[in-house]
Amino acid sequence: MKYSKLILKNILRNKRRTLLTISSLVVSLFLIITLATILTEMESGSEKSNPLRLVTRHKVSLAFTLPVSHRQKIAAVPGVKNVMTFSWFGGIYIDEKNFFANFAVDADRLREIMSELQMSEPEWQAFINDKQGAIVGAKLVKLYGFKPGQRITLKSPIYNQTVEFNIRGVCTGGDEKTMFFHHDYLNDMLPDTLWAKNQVSTLSILAKSPDDVPKISEAIDSFFINTDAPTKTETESEFAASFQAMYGGVKQFMYGIIAAISFSLLLVMGNTMAMTVRERTKEVGTLKALGFQRGTIGMLFVGEALLVAMIGAVIGVGGTMLLYRSIDFSLFIPIVQSFVPTTATLASALIISILVGLASVVYSAYRISGMTIAEALRSTE
Amino acid sequence: MALPLKYNLRNLVVRKSSTLTTAFTIGLTVGVYLMVMALAQGIDLTLATSGEPLNLIVLREGSTAELNSSISQENLRDIQYLDGVARESDKPLAAPELITLVYKARKGMSQGSNIQIRGIGPMSTKLRSGFLVTAGRTFQPGLAEAIVSRRISERFQGMGIGDKFRVQTTDFTIVGLFDSGGKAFESETWVDVNALASATKRESFSSVLLRVKDAASLDALSKRITDDQRLHLKALPEKRFYEEQQGAASGLLKALAVFIGFIMAIGAAFAGMNAMYAAVAKRTKEIGTLRVLGFKRRSILIAFVLESLAISILGALIGILLSLPLNFVSTGTANFVTFSEIAFNFRVTPPLMLYAIIFGSIIGLLGSLLPSIRAARFKIVDALRSS
Repeated sequence: MKYSKLILKNILRNKRRTLLTISSLVVSLFLIITLATILTEMESGSEKSNPLRLVTRHKVSLAFTLPVSHRQKIAAVPGVKNVMTFSWFGGIYIDEKNFFANFAVDADRLREIMSELQMSEPEWQAFINDKQGAIVGAKLVKLYGFKPGQRITLKSPIYNQTVEFNIRGVCTGGDEKTMFFHHDYLNDMLPDTLWAKNQVSTLSILAKSPDDVPKISEAIDSFFINTDAPTKTETESEFAASFQAMYGGVKQFMYGIIAAISFSLLLVMGNTMAMTVRERTKEVGTLKALGFQRGTIGMLFVGEALLVAMIGAVIGVGGTMLLYRSIDFSLFIPIVQSFVPTTATLASALIISILVGLASVVYSAYRISGMTIAEALRSTE
Repeated sequence: MALPLKYNLRNLVVRKSSTLTTAFTIGLTVGVYLMVMALAQGIDLTLATSGEPLNLIVLREGSTAELNSSISQENLRDIQYLDGVARESDKPLAAPELITLVYKARKGMSQGSNIQIRGIGPMSTKLRSGFLVTAGRTFQPGLAEAIVSRRISERFQGMGIGDKFRVQTTDFTIVGLFDSGGKAFESETWVDVNALASATKRESFSSVLLRVKDAASLDALSKRITDDQRLHLKALPEKRFYEEQQGAASGLLKALAVFIGFIMAIGAAFAGMNAMYAAVAKRTKEIGTLRVLGFKRRSILIAFVLESLAISILGALIGILLSLPLNFVSTGTANFVTFSEIAFNFRVTPPLMLYAIIFGSIIGLLGSLLPSIRAARFKIVDALRSS
């Protein structure tokens, strides 16, 4: 560490170059963290899920619905603590651009089954008691200014219905860009001839204990296997994973993009360090003449690159973290529930920048420190 | 008087490792932008080429996709004999079709995506160009048989010839594979409409495809059906129907491409600046000499900007070269309008390549402006005296 002062002086020798290199590092790290966060958010459904929760859907695909009567039969399956209907309404608020998820559920059972939803007692009661009631996630309040007591209209192309709701509460926890309302309310207004009458998209099940989970899915699926509506029952995380898998090739592609950005960062740093090292060839000759060892000289350059990389990492990683903590970008990106870089993402970005710092200088440092005194002093650089 | 271009080119060759790394940095930036855009472009082109110019698609009023549309037998009777519908030996060119989805796992994975199953009638293939059975045979009307697009067969498990997939309680046997010239149908599986109707116990259709007599009938008939208060249907040109899905499928990707491109461009411009500042510093004496010889400040400025521009165009070409192999890569993702897989090829098109060169040049200009101004401002005496 006795050379740390020398390394610092070296960095400050060409302030503009150091500043440009650090800036380049900072923007690249910002980009890497942002893309990685989009990816982890796309995958997050399966991690945030409740291990006691299962989802039953039609065996063929979600395009087929299940009769609401499945609910009573599932409730009787051993190990099931509670079960409710859960239907994608696809309602549009004023304009298609205002996209948010809205589900028809069994209001009186929602609270127990989706225990992550936090709301005051009076709000829960108001929601359960008002058949036309709905509750909205806190982020929807930020986006559309919803407030309790407000009456809103959603139009669903899937159900071919325009429905009015009374907002009865604002909940936090879970996906805060979601709205829930009473399935009974929707079902009662559907004409008897509509395919959706007495039908639901999925059923959401809460198991009594983790041991019951595999038994429940087995019991439900074998019970309905020879009916008109055979089922597939998965844990919530498997169900979420089946959704994420729909993105298909796009996810691997994004990982490729992150790799390409890291590589371009390596080129930027590598070029800068190569220029820096080359310019100091004569100096290396002097140092050698003074008796400095090859290893020491090499370490001076490696230390310099590492210091630059670390300064860039601290500003880039820290700054990006602060940015995303202070502004909630999930409000502007439709496909993600929240937008907070994970510790793993931040740590990876840190590691990437340190590795890039190291890799950028190894060859130049090795080559120059291996020069003889005469060669180095003779250099015209 | 301008400096000869040769001066710049020779300089680039002299510092070739710096030139190449800078060019590669710009190349990667341009390349990444191109790759994301090529993905979005692949989706857009697949959808843009899917509709036939004289086809009209009829859906239930208010529905946004075939999946959530429904058209009754009476509706079909009402619309297929309307004025303007083309005929073939007295039969109207009208194809009632039925859509459903089947969830299948991707090859090598336990999870997958929804595949769109389309029940088609005898007129359906006549209304679509480019359709070709490439392996096996087509299904027999009335039987629970299916033909699968080659792309889907390649990407999903259990979708090859001889395999079966289940819709409700009916097993459909796959008897052939088809191509459709890169259209959205290449993400579908086709079966007989009546077989699918009985499997799904549906009496109504999802959509009706109509061929109209001429371009004038297209608008007239579309208006006639949509405005009829008793029908509760909407008719729109098939081309527009597919084009309207573009935004939902590729809009986010395009935004992402611009975002990534913009941020990477900033990083690359900083890197370019570093390289140019170093080049200017190294040639200080040389610049002094040029000035003594009578070259104006402006000539020096232009010379350095041109030098940087050459690097960035080289970079853009590298980026294009890096992204070109993607043209042969096929992939698939979710089309959330149809709630099913859309399979397509990446497409690096000539306009995209032109954007890439413009984009690269902008990076080069941004990176070179400040260093070049610095070079032009040197005082002759100081420049000559520098070590």
